[in-house]
Amino acid sequence: MNLLIYGATELGYMVAVRLYHKHSITLIDDLEKPPDRFNSLDISFVSGSGADIDALKQTNLEDCSLFIACADLDEANIVACWTVKKIMDLETICFVRTMELYRNLVSPTQNCYQTRYDIDTVIWPEQLLTQDIFRIISVPDAIDVEYFAEGRVKLFEYRIKEGSILRNIRVMDCSFPPDILIVGITRDHNLFIPDGSTLIQLDDKVIFMGTGPALDSLAASIFQSSNNIKTAVLIGGGSVGFMLARQLEQSGIRVKLIESNRERCVFLADNLQNSLILHGDGTDLELLEEESAGDADVIVCITNNDEKNLLCSLLIKQSGSERRIITRVSNSRTAQLFEKVGIDVVVSPRESALTELLNRVQARDVNILALVEGGQGEVLRLTLPDSFSKIRVMDLHFEVQAIIGVVKRGRNILIPNGNTLLQPGDQLKIFTMAEDAEAVKTLFAP
Amino acid sequence: MKLCNILNSLGLILVAFGIIMISPCIVALLEQEYSSILPFIIAATLSVALGLIFRKYGNFSRNFDDLKRNEGILIVVLAWIVTAAMGAIPYLFYGLSPIDAYFESVSGITTTGATILSDFSLYPKDFFFWRSLTQWLGGMGIIVLFVAILPQFAIAGRQMFFTEAPGPTEEKFTPRIAHTAKALWLIYIVLTLLEISLLVWADMPVFDAICNSLTTMAAGGFSPHPLSIMGYDNSSITWIVTGFMFLAGSNFALQYRIIAKRKPLALLQSEEFRFYSIIILAASTCLCLILLEANAYHWNNAMRDSLFQIISLITTAGFSSADFALWNVAAQTILFTVMLVGGCAGSAGGGVKVIRVLFGFKYLKREITQIIHPQAVLPVKIDKKSVPDGIQRQILGFFLFYFALMICSALLVTAIEGNGAIGLVGTAATIGNIGPGFGEIGPMGSFGQLTIATKCIFIINMVVGRLELIPFLALLHPDFWNFNRTELFKHHRRIT
Repeated sequence: MNLLIYGATELGYMVAVRLYHKHSITLIDDLEKPPDRFNSLDISFVSGSGADIDALKQTNLEDCSLFIACADLDEANIVACWTVKKIMDLETICFVRTMELYRNLVSPTQNCYQTRYDIDTVIWPEQLLTQDIFRIISVPDAIDVEYFAEGRVKLFEYRIKEGSILRNIRVMDCSFPPDILIVGITRDHNLFIPDGSTLIQLDDKVIFMGTGPALDSLAASIFQSSNNIKTAVLIGGGSVGFMLARQLEQSGIRVKLIESNRERCVFLADNLQNSLILHGDGTDLELLEEESAGDADVIVCITNNDEKNLLCSLLIKQSGSERRIITRVSNSRTAQLFEKVGIDVVVSPRESALTELLNRVQARDVNILALVEGGQGEVLRLTLPDSFSKIRVMDLHFEVQAIIGVVKRGRNILIPNGNTLLQPGDQLKIFTMAEDAEAVKTLFAP
Repeated sequence: MKLCNILNSLGLILVAFGIIMISPCIVALLEQEYSSILPFIIAATLSVALGLIFRKYGNFSRNFDDLKRNEGILIVVLAWIVTAAMGAIPYLFYGLSPIDAYFESVSGITTTGATILSDFSLYPKDFFFWRSLTQWLGGMGIIVLFVAILPQFAIAGRQMFFTEAPGPTEEKFTPRIAHTAKALWLIYIVLTLLEISLLVWADMPVFDAICNSLTTMAAGGFSPHPLSIMGYDNSSITWIVTGFMFLAGSNFALQYRIIAKRKPLALLQSEEFRFYSIIILAASTCLCLILLEANAYHWNNAMRDSLFQIISLITTAGFSSADFALWNVAAQTILFTVMLVGGCAGSAGGGVKVIRVLFGFKYLKREITQIIHPQAVLPVKIDKKSVPDGIQRQILGFFLFYFALMICSALLVTAIEGNGAIGLVGTAATIGNIGPGFGEIGPMGSFGQLTIATKCIFIINMVVGRLELIPFLALLHPDFWNFNRTELFKHHRRIT
């Protein structure tokens, strides 16, 4: 597939890195020549504006099947998408960064106005990040949560702590409810897919996949968490902070929000109903102690500054807080460092956006439902073709690391074991390593 | 400030008011009380004549679109004072002293409902009709009335409209002020007609039904019956009046939205209305329990009378379905408390207004929270919107002035009358435009036996209370009275 990317930005780079192996990519930007790091990728570059028809024509637009606008300026992205649409009917993906524009573009009411905005997919990384953080908060103790099949299937990620009953036990000996599989383990930042003899160790992050009720009882029995988050402290009142606070309010959680800009505080106080808005710096230890931030059930650091987020998280951690701290990181390289110093959850708007984007880019009958561990692992969705001959799971021979997490047959959800018979028409959710994804696809859909 | 603008506007208002004053004559003709036509004809003629003289001094100018702010305020204040004076003229013919006549007229037009009459049998029917009519005219506001009916005020009315109704919320719900005024009067008239027909259906004599309806919708409280609503001794009448007083005390702009814009939930969505309903329910429940405790009542009557009396006093109507001056002190304390609250903003009721009380509570809560969280940013929100700083200051200022004025007046009257109850309750009842107080000035008593000085103080209280203090306070500032200075300046420039 030929892709056209507008904007040699950080996000553009991440998209290009992920996709240039399988697709031919053309990059367009105002710059004279692309930034250095793009040169190591096998892509072509056209200098010019994304809204300039002449420049666009130089890119062999006719052969392209997808246009991704991820320049730094929202308006430029929108205009570029429209310009492309004027030339030919091409699928467009547009990144935006402001709430108003996002709301306009995705609002379902736009179809009743005179003309539609006519952009196929709009991605606002911070909105996706808000969704991700909210998901993590609403399932306590899990450090990562994904929902599939309208929430009937979930993916939980837990860290094995000291004293956990799963510690030093082989996977095959684990006694937990049926309908749950351990699909992956991250040890020292390396994801691998375990087999029955793998020993679960301290500080492993174990990824479970299964039906919602089963995972809830797992959470209750093994991780002994009570699902009652009552209070949350948010540090940073940007778009993510604002939207997250509003969502938490709606689910009845008391929110304290610390923001350092006075005017922004007034805006937040005007627009949020029950949250307590505190004007101050998140790194102000006195403020944190006075408001007993460490006692909140969950602490979320979401300023737009990685260093500040790190500092806030550490300050709260050193005040003896045993609570979960969720921290936003923009730079994927620093994410590992954050985990090393003991911050439970690290989230990044770019990763959220990337998952969404890659999901759109994949071939028709394969979808990436989630990226795990910074893209090391993927959850794929594929449907078995009619030509597929029935086979039992235990008789399948994977050359690669992969595990079938869920089988969706009609409206039923099955968590497979070795004796499950796979049939044509089944929809599989497969957990696999990113580099093996292609092999898995060919295995099931030759 | 241009004198001719002020005279011209006042002239217009007086002419129109004079024409309205002829209407009691129709009642007199229908009731065949021909002798009582004359006072109203004389008063109407005087009013029109004075109006024309004012217009002449104002050169009959039809253009006062460039009304200044202070001119608007002065016109509004003078309009209330002067129309009350004109309205007092007919009373002079029935043996009332000038100060008594003026008291009765001011009490009428400001919808207070305090009366100096003690024997109701001496007066003809058109006398009572005129009392009720003054309340009805004053209920929606004289200026709102003239903005609605006089096209000359189409633009200048804007300035005056908000002086007369200076509530903390914006009441303009159509782009043009004259349309807003017309819509408000439309609702007002429709509700009045509805109440008249319901009261007639409940077996009230037609004349009484009209008079009582006029004063109910105005939250006034004058009744042609000496015993007020209690005198009809009819439960369904009491309930009907209760219902319409409740409407009179809630926001007319919201009622317009319900009827004209078909938004049935407009009232319930208003936080002020919800708070108003909660106060009424809570206070009447307490009152009902106290009455039952005192064993004076059957619970059915206790419920009816407590609800009626709470609504009557909170909306500042001042009707009585029982002689509450005879109730025990605990019950009277509750009544006095709701007296201080008043109706909703944009209603016919006077007093502090529910929205200000609501704001007061929220402000206190905010201050307490601020002590616990010194760095919190806490806006005071009403209807999910933050109240701007300017309006917050204005409301706090209002409270301060209101209670300062109340204390001054209460102390003065107590000293003059030698009676603390009259001083305090009388002041609260007049400044809040409620009407009857407790004791001698209770619902079955009268203000007639008070000294002249007290009556003057109460007259000021009533006018100032009706205009919600702010225009009155503006008059006290020396910079307010800068007549024609701009014109002199222009003239000076032309010479040089």
